[in-house]
Amino acid sequence: MSDPLLSVQGLRKRFNGFLAVDGVSFEVSHGEIFGLLGPNGAGKTTTIRSVMDIIKAEEGQVTILGNSPADARSRVGYLPEERGLYRDMRVHEVLVYLAQLKGVDRSTAQKNAETWLERVDLADRHGSRVKELSRGMQQKLQFIASLIHGPDLLILDEPFQGLDPVNVELLKALIRELQANGTTIVLSAHEMNLVEALCDRILLINRGKSVLYGELAAIKQQYAPSTVRLRVQGELPDLTGVMRVEQQDQQYILTLASGAHPQAVLADLVSADIEVQSYEVGSAPLEEIFISVVKEETHA
Amino acid sequence: MRKVWIIARQEYLFNVRRAGFIITTLLFPALGLLGLAIAALFGSQATDFLGAQFVPQMEGIGIVDHYGAFTPIPEEYAYTYTAYEDDTAGRAAIERGEIGTLLTFGADYLQTGNVTITSKERDFAVSLIEESDTLREYITTSLLRDQVSDEVQRRIVDPVVPSIVRLEGAGQEPSGTQGDSAISMIVNTMVPYFVGILLVITIFSSSGYLLQSVSGEKTSRVIEIVLSSVTAWELLAGKIIGLGALGLTQIAFWLISASLLSGGAFGLFGIAIALFAKPSLFILSIVYYILGFLIFAVLMGAGGAMGTTQQESQQIAGLFSFMAALPMMIMGFIFANPNAGIARVLSWIPFTAPTMMMLRISLGDVQIVDIIGSIAVCVVTVPALILAGAKVFRASLLMYGSRPKLREIWQIVREA
Repeated sequence: MSDPLLSVQGLRKRFNGFLAVDGVSFEVSHGEIFGLLGPNGAGKTTTIRSVMDIIKAEEGQVTILGNSPADARSRVGYLPEERGLYRDMRVHEVLVYLAQLKGVDRSTAQKNAETWLERVDLADRHGSRVKELSRGMQQKLQFIASLIHGPDLLILDEPFQGLDPVNVELLKALIRELQANGTTIVLSAHEMNLVEALCDRILLINRGKSVLYGELAAIKQQYAPSTVRLRVQGELPDLTGVMRVEQQDQQYILTLASGAHPQAVLADLVSADIEVQSYEVGSAPLEEIFISVVKEETHA
Repeated sequence: MRKVWIIARQEYLFNVRRAGFIITTLLFPALGLLGLAIAALFGSQATDFLGAQFVPQMEGIGIVDHYGAFTPIPEEYAYTYTAYEDDTAGRAAIERGEIGTLLTFGADYLQTGNVTITSKERDFAVSLIEESDTLREYITTSLLRDQVSDEVQRRIVDPVVPSIVRLEGAGQEPSGTQGDSAISMIVNTMVPYFVGILLVITIFSSSGYLLQSVSGEKTSRVIEIVLSSVTAWELLAGKIIGLGALGLTQIAFWLISASLLSGGAFGLFGIAIALFAKPSLFILSIVYYILGFLIFAVLMGAGGAMGTTQQESQQIAGLFSFMAALPMMIMGFIFANPNAGIARVLSWIPFTAPTMMMLRISLGDVQIVDIIGSIAVCVVTVPALILAGAKVFRASLLMYGSRPKLREIWQIVREA
């Protein structure tokens, strides 16, 4: 990867003798949505806090746009998992104050606040106190507070937690729009379907260590069971490299022998003059990969 | 530094509009207004009532004079004293309410000094009559009548009319006060003393707001969002500046309202004269205020960060408040002797030095070694405390579930 926006190398952090992060390394490219995954207590939040310079790592190096995290604060947005807002302050005051802390001047902050409140349907609540908002509204407010200064890198720790499906869709759309506009996003979430839908690459951490890292599609391919689902016209002949055949209604599920390639099976079908109506190489859902890898690591 | 000012401004503007701050700030002048209203509405009744709580009834005192020097009652004392033939007549007068107290001078008064005091008043009130200047003057005047000249008699009754000369230093002309010196002494002592107390109260209230602010940000979980934008040091510094200014606003409001209640611009002028009469006292008060506020603000900031709930933070802060309040607790003792041993010891301990010295310097001359020593101790303590306090503040802020243990705090401080 050339010139990554975020680079984390050999990060290590210990709390009272407990090694929370143990040599984690990863890179995030410009404009991608990067998934940071792991079970509870895996070390995700510690990694993120180190990237944000909220806690100091014992070892390792973090660079954001070539700078130290401390120097890049104003170019990063952060929505933490443990989040709240000033309950007694008014909505627009909170946004303007947090934007100013990121280095935005007051008038621009006010303008940005109005724009974003409109985008998340909170324009009519800009004068309300935060404590008067519903939980969902507060979460949307927290979300826009993290990006009101127009960051290059946006780190979202469990952004969908507690949101209803309508607001999940709203947030997904906003995340995609931000990416389209050039914002790089690091997303930590437990909703694997959303990670699958949004992320280009992922890092899976377990017990403070990196256990899976790379392109999401390649990982899914790597962990896919050796199965093929197909529909054909007529009977299915004996095929080389197929261990087992199951029939479910009009569909066959072929389990391939070790070393057999789905492409070779398809070539055999074509050469046998079988009319293939559909042919799908099996792939595992990310959730299954997550569970299987974590279980495997935990029992190792 | 810009972020520090943004935080300071935010803390100031947010807290200055809080109901708690407004109520506390208005309470002081409100009590003054209440006093004025009582005085205006009830006039002399209120004065009589208050006077009766502290001063025994002096208007009606009966005299039974078996010695022979105290009757007849001279005209100038006739308003207070009434002569009776014997105790029976005097006690009957008490029963009728004509007098409150009866003094019976025995025939052997000159040899023994015995005076029988008969009264329905309590012991404390009776002892005040015994010690009263008016009675002393009446007895002295009566005994000396026709024995010495009027001049000698006046000097025996009022032996010292003070004229105070204060030496300002080598080569400087002495400045003197005469005539109104008693009043000016009271003003010159009491005004700085009460301003000192107000400054101490302001340290408590401002650092209390800091505690609330930090623990509020921690318990509402907004702290992590803020720390993604500023360092823990910037956050603490911004809060200290903003809430320090809040404390000064409060004291300025109190001083202005006090001056308005006590006669408008004239009152303000009086307070200013008293404060600026000794510029060194004024400057020292400000120095101790700043040092005291810095010490307790850092302690309160770290205390606020350590607690997992606001109540827990307040418990931790209670220990610091006790240290700051210690000089206030022994204030009566210090008032009598500002240079007492305990006062001097507490002046050298950084956690009690600012409040103790603010009280001591307002009461009289304090040894220069105590002033230099207390400032030096605080000046050394403040940066060390800020360094360690900021570390504890930073390390504790994100500990949501549990309070850092003493061992952990010690480790954090050692690493600092």
